[in-house]
Amino acid sequence: MFMGLGKIFAHGKQAFDPLDEILGINQRNALIQKYNPRHAIERARDKVAAKYALEAAGIACTGTVAVIDDHQKLSSFKPSRDMPDAWAIKPARGSQGDGILLAVRREGNTWYKGSGAPLPEEMVMHHIQKVVDGGFSGDSAAEDAALIEPLIIADPALSRIVPEGLPDLRVISLHHTPLMAMVRLPTIESDGKANLHQRAIGAGIDMETGKITRAVVKGTPITHHPDTGVNLIGFEIPGWKRVLELASRCGPAVGLGYCGADIVLDVNDGPLVIEVNAHPGIEIQNICQAGLKVRIAATGEDFR
Amino acid sequence: MIARIREIWGRATPQVRRPFYVGLGVAVVLAVLVGLGVGNTSAFFVLPSTLDGKATSQAIWGLKPSNLLMVLPLGAFLVVLARSFIGLKAFGLFTPMLIALAFLQIGPVMGPVVLCSSVLVGMIVTPSLLKLRMTRVGFLGVLISLIVLVLVGLQMILDTQLQVDAFPVIVCALCVERWWKQWGKDGAKPAAKMALNTFVLAVVIEFVMVSNFAMALIEWSPLLMPATTGIAIAILGRYRGLRLSEIHRFAPIWLERRRQARAAALPEGVTEDRRKGLPDTRRVPEPEALPEAMPEEEPAAPVPRLRVRAAYRMPQLVPLHRSHGMVLAAAAKRAPALGGMWVIESPADLAPGARRRASQLISPSVTSLATGTPANDRALPAGRPPIHNAWVVRRAEDV
Repeated sequence: MFMGLGKIFAHGKQAFDPLDEILGINQRNALIQKYNPRHAIERARDKVAAKYALEAAGIACTGTVAVIDDHQKLSSFKPSRDMPDAWAIKPARGSQGDGILLAVRREGNTWYKGSGAPLPEEMVMHHIQKVVDGGFSGDSAAEDAALIEPLIIADPALSRIVPEGLPDLRVISLHHTPLMAMVRLPTIESDGKANLHQRAIGAGIDMETGKITRAVVKGTPITHHPDTGVNLIGFEIPGWKRVLELASRCGPAVGLGYCGADIVLDVNDGPLVIEVNAHPGIEIQNICQAGLKVRIAATGEDFR
Repeated sequence: MIARIREIWGRATPQVRRPFYVGLGVAVVLAVLVGLGVGNTSAFFVLPSTLDGKATSQAIWGLKPSNLLMVLPLGAFLVVLARSFIGLKAFGLFTPMLIALAFLQIGPVMGPVVLCSSVLVGMIVTPSLLKLRMTRVGFLGVLISLIVLVLVGLQMILDTQLQVDAFPVIVCALCVERWWKQWGKDGAKPAAKMALNTFVLAVVIEFVMVSNFAMALIEWSPLLMPATTGIAIAILGRYRGLRLSEIHRFAPIWLERRRQARAAALPEGVTEDRRKGLPDTRRVPEPEALPEAMPEEEPAAPVPRLRVRAAYRMPQLVPLHRSHGMVLAAAAKRAPALGGMWVIESPADLAPGARRRASQLISPSVTSLATGTPANDRALPAGRPPIHNAWVVRRAEDV
């Protein structure tokens, strides 16, 4: 009885049972509490601060057009003068892709979204203002910074298998060790967004070879992309070694022990880090059909 | 049904069992406490003006207004239980607890009515409010004024002494905002589910707060309740196992593992695992090579009757006389010959020992006879005899 209680509350001698392979949300929170210090989480949550830290560590990140963090900068910013033809506006403290605006082309002073909807200059300014006012930044922040980046064009090998949007890789790592990886492939149904909640495809990647082993849409396993019909199983991520190297350096650069790195494959620059997540979700286990806890245990973690 | 559950239970790994036990225990305790709380409720439909000046919580449950503070730790404790053992997702961390407290102040039935109506109005108005393109602070401010408007309206309609103070107003405004955000992020269904979770959890907390157990603790000593719940939260907050809802979430992984394990353990051709402990050393019989041509109806020598009572009884083959009705009918209809099968064209073909022709040896005369052969007829223009189903290409025109 007391042994059982000990196991439940992780007081016992043997905290890790080999049959426990799934990492639950409670255990994940405990890991974050143990390895991710408060200041590092704050830094990771702020995309601008995280970018500074990553670039200081020599990690390849996406480029920057401008950072607008107050109303003074906002009033001196003129999209028609300062913006390139294709760009992305992101709130620095946004979560789950909220408030991200993308423009793919420009005609005169009007930009166009991926869907073809026009974005006149004042609409762009209004969006930036909303971002700066903290409209996409959760409950805590009243002010935020708008991060403007040039639009990333995906590696042709990857963009061939998706109808639109930018596929991104999520690699979960503990300290220097990448543990599990998936690639999120947008679909027409997900409106070009690589968000699993919006019915994008999640595909588990084999850590050794970089090949897709399994693809899932909302819990249903699939083999081919529903829009392009390309076979996903066995597809090899180009530049996999580089992806792993980037992922293993991301956490230490920002100061996080347990983190999830979001990496995109750019057509020119190869793998680039777009974001480091201090609270990576555990849904990746369902996508790779493997438990994170066994892999964490294999790195020597004792779960105390 | 029970056997099935037992079977599933027997296969579950310890990582599944533990959270199940824990979740079950929590559910039972909660059910008992809620039962006590409901039993302790003296009147459900009551309006404050009929209570001649007494506070609602005291009139209905005997909970002094000064003791409302005491039940707060209990609410926090229940939120911790619901979150880290069961995995209920609600709006905000302690919103359900605050809602429960508002319910205690307004009444067991009037509380939900007031909350639901104000939140509902907020939900209906939010889309048009968002079109005004305000900042978040402005939006929340308008929302608060609106909810107060609804609450004052309710006070005028129902009862002027309905105790709706600052507390429920903010809670309602935050609920509306969370609801709207969740809707925008995940869609209507998950948001509605979360709202329902919040509501149910608030009701559960409300009744646990007023159960005899909680009352006795408060009456005993004012220090006891905060101290007990504090210690309990500190112990239970260390729980690292799976939540009850995660059993369902990660069930596909365990199921797939088991399927793989089963597929790996069994040799080919064996569908049922009958091994108990020891490895299976029995030889698996090689599946016999299928004969090239299989008689549709074999009127050969009668198979001797099986004397041993076997589970599987071989069907008996009965030889039919050539003038038998079934044989004649079969002959009259000219059952089409199928590729790789015997062609039975005349009653003579059914006689024991008769020579039958396989359909792949088709001479022109046979093709004209066996009409309706699906594959062969279409591919066979007259005058080009195929040899064993293979075309003979002699000239360029043959291709």
